[in-house]
Amino acid sequence: MSLTRRNILTGAAVAALASQLPVRVALAQGGDKVVRIAMPMDFTKVYTFVTAEYNQGQRDYITMMNQRGGMGGYTIAIDISDHANDQPRAIEAYERAKSQGAVLVDPLSTPVARALTPRALEDKINMVTAFSGRSDAADGTVFPYVFPLSPNYWTQAGLLIEYFKQQDGGSLDGKTICFVHIDTPFGKEPLPVLEALAAKEGFKLQAFPYTPPGNDQSAIWPQVRRARPDWTMFWGAGVGQTVALTEAARNGLDMGRVCSSVWLSESDMDVVGRDQTVGVLKFEPCVSGREPQVIQEILTEVVGAGKGAGPEDKVGTAYYNYGVMLAALMLEGVRRAAEIAPDGPVNGEWLNAGLHSITEFTAEGLIPPTTITPEDHQGGGMGRVARWNGEAFEPMTDWFSANQDVVWEEVRKYSSEFAKSGQ
Amino acid sequence: MIYRRAGISFTRYQDERQLWKLPTDRWAVIVIFALLLVAPFLVDRLFVVGYLLPLIIWSMAAMGLNLLMGGAGQIHLGYGAVIGIGAYASVHAMRAGLPFELAMIVGGLASAVIGVVFGAAALRVKGLYLAMATLAMQYIVDFVIVQVPAISGGTQAALSVPRTSFLGIAIQGDRAPYYVALALCAVLTLFMLNVRRTSFGRALAAVREKDYAASIIGVDPFRYKLLAFWVSSFIGGMTGAVLAVCYYRTISPDQFHLDLSIQLVAMVIVGGLGSVLGGFLGVGLILFAPIVLNQLIGLAADQFGVAIPTDLRAHLPLMLYGGLIMGFLLLEPLGLAKIYSNIRNYLLVWPFRHARQ
Repeated sequence: MSLTRRNILTGAAVAALASQLPVRVALAQGGDKVVRIAMPMDFTKVYTFVTAEYNQGQRDYITMMNQRGGMGGYTIAIDISDHANDQPRAIEAYERAKSQGAVLVDPLSTPVARALTPRALEDKINMVTAFSGRSDAADGTVFPYVFPLSPNYWTQAGLLIEYFKQQDGGSLDGKTICFVHIDTPFGKEPLPVLEALAAKEGFKLQAFPYTPPGNDQSAIWPQVRRARPDWTMFWGAGVGQTVALTEAARNGLDMGRVCSSVWLSESDMDVVGRDQTVGVLKFEPCVSGREPQVIQEILTEVVGAGKGAGPEDKVGTAYYNYGVMLAALMLEGVRRAAEIAPDGPVNGEWLNAGLHSITEFTAEGLIPPTTITPEDHQGGGMGRVARWNGEAFEPMTDWFSANQDVVWEEVRKYSSEFAKSGQ
Repeated sequence: MIYRRAGISFTRYQDERQLWKLPTDRWAVIVIFALLLVAPFLVDRLFVVGYLLPLIIWSMAAMGLNLLMGGAGQIHLGYGAVIGIGAYASVHAMRAGLPFELAMIVGGLASAVIGVVFGAAALRVKGLYLAMATLAMQYIVDFVIVQVPAISGGTQAALSVPRTSFLGIAIQGDRAPYYVALALCAVLTLFMLNVRRTSFGRALAAVREKDYAASIIGVDPFRYKLLAFWVSSFIGGMTGAVLAVCYYRTISPDQFHLDLSIQLVAMVIVGGLGSVLGGFLGVGLILFAPIVLNQLIGLAADQFGVAIPTDLRAHLPLMLYGGLIMGFLLLEPLGLAKIYSNIRNYLLVWPFRHARQ
């Protein structure tokens, strides 16, 4: 064939047409009894091992439920990809998920979730933003398709303050609470709630920001020590957490009075030293360890059968269980949706109705009783405080919820602001 | 044979002065532009919103940076911040009720003013020192955006972009944002292609080659360095506005971090300094290689049952991506544009090996 202009043009046209084939093929796959869930997450940049463990838990749970015949007759198909916390990649992944008919997206990244929020609302695709995304998405009336399904950071901070109060005999008047946080929007998020509570409870709040990503906090912690805090909260994620713990230990703070948000796990303790951190507290949204029945079932049915999604020793760690928790909530939503409309059609609205009717769900004792309503996407905001004993996190309290009035004031303040901007 | 021309020789001045001198090049541009115009009707929407739209917007940013780096020889490691200033300024302007057309210019002006202030460092320092000065700009702007709730939009640090329209077309859905970005990109591309044929472009080139030599021949480096920063930052600010309105729809500080600046510098260098086409090619490689590689690895893992652990599966595309960039730069340090130009030069005289220039 000679290389003429006509041939080149024809070739280009054919190539342009052929380029859309892969998507069409993907769309054609699978029967109608499939619920597609997309999980574009950050495996490589910021969240790394957090994502790996969280995602492992999700996949193991979904494998188990699929083996048992799916949810209400529907099989769950998941599509996992890496967005590396990079927004163009995340948007591409989201749009691909949309083209492939996904009805739920779980990006597990605060910046990505915030950027995808207007798209999810417009496209009516449910987006799970567990421990990430906008805290004001708890307000389901403004964010009908965004589901935190977990206590947001304001709730976590409010609950920890309540715990401090209980421990100190019912009053925090005149106490000093230090808040050491990464200097990003995520790290600064709890400040308004903490300030409101400081005014209400009469404690003195001192905030210590450290520069991201937090590899070096040696200048901050001596100042914390000098402030002689009654309680210290450290708020970060990834490497900042282990550095914070190391510095807290080095500066001789009482570990029993140092406390973290949900982002603390056995893996962090291995880095700092399991024995150096005995006594440190954290907020726990679900039971950790292998005792819960659902983890036992995963161990026998999935991991035992050689179908586990990752290393077996990670099963039952904190983030693994968060993954199981969120997968269980998502699939409970699918089950409810299948109950409401057994024949579908499977779309974002179908699953939305299911998620909105989750009532008193405990995932066989893994999580506190969670109820999602069209108004409350946080699910009640229950959690507990756990203490590291050198081997595992042991619960110090029962499931409880606190200071929700202050939290919801903040939620409504920002959600109404969002609603006003005309999205 | 393909270009129907062995070497380039003109008999009329107007032929020599055309933007694309060979009919084949002109046709190629027309065909590509026509394909871009009909793309939303031709290919799946995913390719439009997930690939073409970011390609167009990032190319605008790369062209703006290329004017400064390739045109005037001034390195800028804070171009992400310049784009961020434009995005925030224009979104705040739109939230205050300004139409998009004006808000875009407000964004451009805000970026240009702040960009020139930091660009003034270029009057005293060069090379690596200028890189440090512009890097400082990146961090200062990041810091200011995060620390001032009035700019970032409160604790959620996510500022949603109001619904808006461009010249009467409502920017919503899949197609309208694409066409708006495409139109603006076309205008910018024509500007960039022409700017180096103007006295301004030639003055920048003189400053790029040696600033005191330029001043000896009567080109004022003070003026042209500042002008280069002004124009380039203005383009960056406009791009920021387009990015916010057509693509992100919600802006947050992390979109404009150092990552973006480094990404843009990489695009300009891999694409080819000073080349307009290179900007597009560089953006295509840097923006999409990770995505495409990721999908290929995923496909290989799923279809052919290659059992790779999840973490390796996530990191493998990054390794390949790094190798790809190194490979291209080893193969041709002058960038993708030079590779294209080599191929074109070869085909220009094919089947012969050499021709009279």
